[in-house]
Amino acid sequence: MTIALETKGLTKDYRSPVKEPGLWGGVKALFDRQFKDTRAVDAVSFKIEEGELVGFLGANGAGKTTTLKMLSGLLTPTSGEATALGHVPWKREAAFQKKISLVMGQRTQLWWEIPALETFKLNQAIYGIPEAEFKMHLTELVDLLELGDHLQVPVKKLSLGQRMRAEMAAALLHRPKLLLLDEPTIGLDVVMQKKVREFVKAYNVRNGATIMLTSHNMTDVVELCKRVIVIERGRLLYDGSLDRLVERYADHKIFKVRFSKPISAADLGQFGTVVNVADMTAEIEVPRAEVAAAAAAILRTYPVKDFNIEDVDIDDIVRRLFTHS
Amino acid sequence: MTKYLRAYSISLQETLQRRTTLMMDRVGGFAIVLSLFSFWNALLGDKSSFLGYSRQEMLTYVLLINVLRALVFTGRGWQLVGEISSGRISSYLVRPIDYYGYALALDLAQKTVHVVFAFLEVAILAVFIRGALFIPTRWETWLMFVLAAGLSSLIFFFMEFMISSLAFWTSESGGPLFCFELFLSFAAGAFFPLDVLPEALRRALSATPFPYMVYFPARVFLEKVSPTEAAKLIAIESCWLVVFIAAALSVWHVGVNSYAAEGG
Repeated sequence: MTIALETKGLTKDYRSPVKEPGLWGGVKALFDRQFKDTRAVDAVSFKIEEGELVGFLGANGAGKTTTLKMLSGLLTPTSGEATALGHVPWKREAAFQKKISLVMGQRTQLWWEIPALETFKLNQAIYGIPEAEFKMHLTELVDLLELGDHLQVPVKKLSLGQRMRAEMAAALLHRPKLLLLDEPTIGLDVVMQKKVREFVKAYNVRNGATIMLTSHNMTDVVELCKRVIVIERGRLLYDGSLDRLVERYADHKIFKVRFSKPISAADLGQFGTVVNVADMTAEIEVPRAEVAAAAAAILRTYPVKDFNIEDVDIDDIVRRLFTHS
Repeated sequence: MTKYLRAYSISLQETLQRRTTLMMDRVGGFAIVLSLFSFWNALLGDKSSFLGYSRQEMLTYVLLINVLRALVFTGRGWQLVGEISSGRISSYLVRPIDYYGYALALDLAQKTVHVVFAFLEVAILAVFIRGALFIPTRWETWLMFVLAAGLSSLIFFFMEFMISSLAFWTSESGGPLFCFELFLSFAAGAFFPLDVLPEALRRALSATPFPYMVYFPARVFLEKVSPTEAAKLIAIESCWLVVFIAAALSVWHVGVNSYAAEGG
């Protein structure tokens, strides 16, 4: 297999001005500016093969976006190396830029006041996509992303979900071989999240594209990625299959129960660790192996009004991973 | 080339789409011209000339200010500052396009729209003051005027681009941009012909690129400069353009690299 992405000891420090609090601090900073270096990414090394779809996990501020920015060429690293599709990303060669795309869920490249189709045509010109190919890609994207006639409407009139899908289409018109997705489902409702996920999967399969995605949404990761890379405070903590990660660190599920009368925490302790009891609701961490039995017992023993079994959220797993290491 | 044409077209659409902004800009500009017009009209009273400008020339100068403002001073400097400080600029830096060429295409589109409007406004005023305007008859004058004004327009773009690029280093580059624009209107002769200023100040200004922005093209139009003098000044103006292209592009490149080094 060909390697699409490779980093060796990739490191990035941010320099930010430090100001003492208060007015005097402000005056001092005006004349004598002090800087502080913060290490955002710390000697991260990994290899990703062509066509892989890898989840990139970590808490807020762990260094995910910084890494994606380096891989797309937006940032130059402080030290270390990276090659993406045979290029050094931060040289920003046109040949490289034509093969990649970076989509940031909270940023938009669409022109706000005019229909998205105009931005698409601009991208057609920017990437030099021949007309026939453009039409073909566009039809396919409109179909897969169910964009219909949303493309004729000024972008500001679109809903967040519609805009995000149009954003995705704009980023993929040139059929990038490498796709870096930063929080592609942020702010979307579950139906939209699902559509975006299905699309990412389909794009990966159809085009054999390499995709790296960050998400706080566990479902995104579970449904899309066999392999995950976890970083915490800039350091690589885990690189391997998702199954193994979940087995190892998410060894329990969370029960969220609403009763029709108050139940004491002590009573519920027999099923697992009680995280939280308030009035008539309770949150219990139940070991994976005992989920079925515990659920049945709770339903049998107590007057239950509402019952939910949830996965541990990704930040939790990452936190566990961090404390274990 | 197609990408810049596309950029031009998309910016043209947006400018026309944002009708309120466009109208506000036009009404604001027109108000300035209208007040200058009344001011000079009153000042001239029944004098036939002032500071070497006949009544006809002075009123023409004022109307030229409207057209030249639209052609030269229209730009997206503030948007660039916003795009850099909000990080939106990133989406351009990962695409295969030279941002300054792109920005120039966007500005040219806005300039096109504003110049068309400025001409219409002037035409309306001209109807009211029939015969009181100076219209050159020599084609050379028109050619020189278009050349001089075209160059000013480009100089302004690169100046503004350079100052806006300071946003890569400071979140407050709106400040320098604001000062620049204010000073420029004055130093370029966009409020009054620079002949109003004391000799020493005028001399000092003539060593800067500012008088080339409005004052010089207007004087070419009014045939106040001889063709040889005009050719010489156009040559100097071209040098200023080269200087500002070089300066703007270096500031931009250093800015992009520091953005890449310090984080977006």
